[in-house]
Amino acid sequence: MKYLPYMLKHLRRNWIRTSTTIVGIAVCVFLFCVLRSVLAAVDYGMQSGNANRLITRHAVGLTQQIPVTYQERIRAVPGVKRVAIANWFNGFLGMPPDYRNFFANFAIDPEEYLDMHPEFVLTPDERTAFITDRRGAVVGKELADKHGWKLGSTFQLESTIPPYRVGKPFDFIVRGIYTADKVKNPGTDLTMMFFHFKYLYEATNQRVGVGTYSLQIEDPKQAPAVAKAIDALFENSDAQTKTETEAQFIAGFFALAGNLALLLNLIGTAVAFTILLVTANTMSMAVRERRKEIAVLKTLGFPSGLVMMLILGEALLIGLLGGGVGLLLGGAMIGAMPQMPMIGDLVRGFPNFGMTWPVASLGLGFALFLSLAAGLIPAVTAFRARITDMLRTV
Amino acid sequence: MSTQNGFGAAVDVQQVRKVYKRDTQEITVLDGISLQVKSGEFVALMGPSGSGKTTLLNLIAGIDRPTSGKLTVAGTDVGSLSEGQLATWRSRNIGFIFQFYNLIPVLSAVENVELPLLLTSLSKSERRNRALLALKIVGLEDRSKHYPRQLSGGQEQRVAIARAIVTDPSVLVADEPTGDLDARSAEEILSLLDTLNTEFKKTIVMVTHDPRAAERAHVQHHLEKGLLKD
Repeated sequence: MKYLPYMLKHLRRNWIRTSTTIVGIAVCVFLFCVLRSVLAAVDYGMQSGNANRLITRHAVGLTQQIPVTYQERIRAVPGVKRVAIANWFNGFLGMPPDYRNFFANFAIDPEEYLDMHPEFVLTPDERTAFITDRRGAVVGKELADKHGWKLGSTFQLESTIPPYRVGKPFDFIVRGIYTADKVKNPGTDLTMMFFHFKYLYEATNQRVGVGTYSLQIEDPKQAPAVAKAIDALFENSDAQTKTETEAQFIAGFFALAGNLALLLNLIGTAVAFTILLVTANTMSMAVRERRKEIAVLKTLGFPSGLVMMLILGEALLIGLLGGGVGLLLGGAMIGAMPQMPMIGDLVRGFPNFGMTWPVASLGLGFALFLSLAAGLIPAVTAFRARITDMLRTV
Repeated sequence: MSTQNGFGAAVDVQQVRKVYKRDTQEITVLDGISLQVKSGEFVALMGPSGSGKTTLLNLIAGIDRPTSGKLTVAGTDVGSLSEGQLATWRSRNIGFIFQFYNLIPVLSAVENVELPLLLTSLSKSERRNRALLALKIVGLEDRSKHYPRQLSGGQEQRVAIARAIVTDPSVLVADEPTGDLDARSAEEILSLLDTLNTEFKKTIVMVTHDPRAAERAHVQHHLEKGLLKD
């Protein structure tokens, strides 16, 4: 600790160089924390998929619809326990619609969908009220709290999907507010809204199809076989299907951006390597400028090892400061991302998006490692340098 | 000041050679030098450029090692010490005064003087008090908070001298201490060295080109091409 004032004074020696190095490390840590948080949220979201649930959709893509008539044929496939329609409605609140206030909303077969999603916890009365009211809606607790909705509250949604636009908004009344057991089902999203598919179907004069069928199967081990059997049923139809597990379905969204983990890790690695080179160059320049000073310290009796530790200590201080700034910026960015246009739409779908302690610790550790690595060669150079060589005037 | 060998010498150089290797070439800088510096003596090493005087000074100060020969300073065979032991020995026994002061620019005068004391077990306040005392001896206690850029050349050299004496070493080595100073400042520095020698009984070994500086010494040794010419 008695050497700390000495090290801090040297950081102020060239404050422009020191602060730009700190900023460089901060940028690296900022990127690391944001990218890792996104990846962690993706992984976490994928874990929320249930092993005994499958999703059947149009083989071409989610924008294509499959016939309502497929439901009974799918139900008849051996191994299938329940089948429920689940259509992404993409509705927005208010007139005119408030596009900033996004939340996921689905048109479902209420009984079967709720039966196969026990993680959405409703009271028996709420469940009955929802099932019996064609205009009823079930909303997650976080969504209800955000909008101040209680049982009996009313709201309107208008979809941006053309087949679902009927010239006027859809009216809903809150019949249930679902919660979740966060221990048993930690990935449950409490910001969603569900309503009757029949309401949508009739309001569009029975012209709409099905976006996805949500299936519950008897035995999770039979998932591949059941999926194959379902897709085989419609192989020769106009609307061929693709059936996969829920986790695969969720992962498919992120695969739209390519191998997201690889992409983000490559970006992070490239940035980190660049910052490492820049920081190492900065430390080398600083040590080279201080050749005489290092010679003086050694002449005064400072052991070579201590001189080396002083230089590494300065590097660590830079890493600590850069890491701290990077964590602050990363935390601020992660907090702001859900409110940003476009990016917000993506991350709001992650129920657990945020900077966790493991990510923050890794980020800070990364900054310290980066600064140590950058300071190592200059420190070793100082360790090995001969006093008489360093005292010679350059 | 104690002397620990039969000659009463603070510095005893016996047939010391120093050879440098530059690529395939060997350059003999000191070619079998022998001399003694008595405890409390003020010695000047003189000679033309390249004569080996600075090399000899560096060997005495323990910041370089002889190629052969024996070098005993403050009772210690310097050649027998490891690098770590040598560093510790220097911190306790040698005060080095450089030609160009070599103060740390980001430290104030008192912080520069305190530097050698960081290697001791003294408390923060004890270090500060001793540093201020050293600055008082060199007449600069009122400049303790000034940075080197705020001091004149002569004042910087006095701070450097304070740094050299703060651990109370038995031997002071000075490499052209007045080489970068004007006549008046040089005279002040030489007077200070005089005081350290006569009042504080420091053994001083000084390299100099300046005849006026050399006159202050008790003994002058002349080197030429790595050999003593006396």
